[in-house]
Amino acid sequence: MAKRKLTLKKKKDYIFVAILLAYPILQFVVTWAFVNIESVLFAFQHQGLRGTTWTFDNIAKVFTDIFSSSSFNYSNTISDEVMTLLNSLGYGFITIFITLPLSLVFSYFLQKGVPLSNTLRIIFFLPNIIPVVALTLAFNIPLKDYGYMNGLVQMLGIPGGDIYGSWPTSQLFIYVYCIWAGLGYNIVLMSGAIGRIPKELFESAQLDGAGYAVEFFKITIPLIWSTVVTLVVLGLTNVLTLYLQPYLLTNGTGKGGTTTIAMEIFMNANISTQYGYTAAKGLILSLVWAPVVLFVRNRMSKLYSDIDF
Amino acid sequence: MSKNTTRKFFTKENLKTLFTGYNVIKAIVFVIFIAYAVSLLVPFLWMVLNMFKDTGEFNDGNVFGFPLVWKFSNIIDTLKFEIGGQSILSMFFMSIITTALGTFIHVMLSVFAAYAVAKYDFPGKKLILGAAIFTMIVPIVGTLPAQVRMMDTFNMNDSLIGILFLYSGCLGFNFILLHSSFETISWGYAEAAEIDGANRFQILFKVMIPIAKGSIISVTILQIIALWNDYSIPFLFMHSNQTLAVGLQSFQAQFLGKQQPLVFTAIIISLLPILVLFAIFEKTIMENTVAGGLKG
Repeated sequence: MAKRKLTLKKKKDYIFVAILLAYPILQFVVTWAFVNIESVLFAFQHQGLRGTTWTFDNIAKVFTDIFSSSSFNYSNTISDEVMTLLNSLGYGFITIFITLPLSLVFSYFLQKGVPLSNTLRIIFFLPNIIPVVALTLAFNIPLKDYGYMNGLVQMLGIPGGDIYGSWPTSQLFIYVYCIWAGLGYNIVLMSGAIGRIPKELFESAQLDGAGYAVEFFKITIPLIWSTVVTLVVLGLTNVLTLYLQPYLLTNGTGKGGTTTIAMEIFMNANISTQYGYTAAKGLILSLVWAPVVLFVRNRMSKLYSDIDF
Repeated sequence: MSKNTTRKFFTKENLKTLFTGYNVIKAIVFVIFIAYAVSLLVPFLWMVLNMFKDTGEFNDGNVFGFPLVWKFSNIIDTLKFEIGGQSILSMFFMSIITTALGTFIHVMLSVFAAYAVAKYDFPGKKLILGAAIFTMIVPIVGTLPAQVRMMDTFNMNDSLIGILFLYSGCLGFNFILLHSSFETISWGYAEAAEIDGANRFQILFKVMIPIAKGSIISVTILQIIALWNDYSIPFLFMHSNQTLAVGLQSFQAQFLGKQQPLVFTAIIISLLPILVLFAIFEKTIMENTVAGGLKG
């Protein structure tokens, strides 16, 4: 970048930058900062008939709900509140420990060249571009009594043929959906990243006598590490942010104990009496979880931080 | 494992067995690939097969064969169908409008912001970049009620303007992507244009944007897809004028189990624009799907 010495020029630069950035920054401040501050205030407010009062009740209720819940609608041993937390944590677990490793192996082979690899890559991309409403229907419809996968539902002996009838079956089906739909996205991202590794690196490793296992663990994984870290971070944020998949799969009901943290918030978004509680819960969970995400990200980034190509 | 032990481990015999073992794994992976690809395609092909059937015919058990009577009128029936006084056809147009305007505004502002931050020095530019990354990796939840309140306060709830205001937020992933592509462009081009008498806006529009065309096009297409498919924002903030993604959900909730062929038709209609776009720009889209580089 050129050094700009003239003050008049610098002044004009600032005006130009200000014109370009005025709206983006204003929009950001309003939608992000304003909303977050407002939300923190909500957490300590009670919206009653006689207006707004300040209170710690919301915060207290979040803790009592989690630790001494009395509603056991879906299971005798696990309360609804804890079930919501477990469901949500499960999304982090399956993204990081099932979808991610599977797609790593798959991408490696896709990049090494299997027959039809280009066609396969295009098909695997489809879950990313198909509206999630349509994709959830494509998952649900074949399992219905008129669908071609209904045999599976009957084979599993699911009561009433309703896969979202009871927990944990309901939740397992949603996890299966998430793996099914998420695999494609992960594969495309990772095979893209593997494709950008210079071919010479693999060639020189092969000259050194490295086999496929060594190539996979010692070359491929370290070199696409930043993509892996990003996907782990996305997996961890899923714990707090994922709601659309279970929401749409269960037709907006969250039946069969399939609610998640974010889904509860989504469903409460238009109920003003719930504002305080919803905001308090979000605040507490974010305060607990955000450091975890940042810690994992920093730790993982350091693992192969010095690798560059 | 050091290089030496690697060598010892991969003797000729070992390599031989590993190589055949590798082929076995490769074959297994290939079979899984085919199964996965089939599982992704078949639901939609099956819907296409059934969307032209009469509901009676489908319910009588012809779910795998070709239609006995091709009912092409299903398309018109579906488009004309009204949910809450709004036809599927009008939802389709609503989707086109929100997607087109939303994408245009978002991409234009992202380009402005990315260019300013990448190419000019000014106090606070690191802060802007940091804020964009921070909001992407730190999950803050529970703010939805505050967002609803904000939209009410600004009188933007349940309006197209409100939706566009939310879509105009541009300090996110696309901003970071465009920022890194502007950063790689040499400032020499700008200096040359400056000598020719171009002002700052001319440099941006006539020099820089054409050079960064590739990434701008890919960001645009990805944004079109994202907005066409978006459910939450139109659902929460534009209930009286539904987009197709939102309408499809209500449509299937009413008709799945009763008139499947019409639901299938609606699903396929919702996919078509995206599939056409994908077919045209497949290469650009796939090459620009990246998740690395979120450094900061």
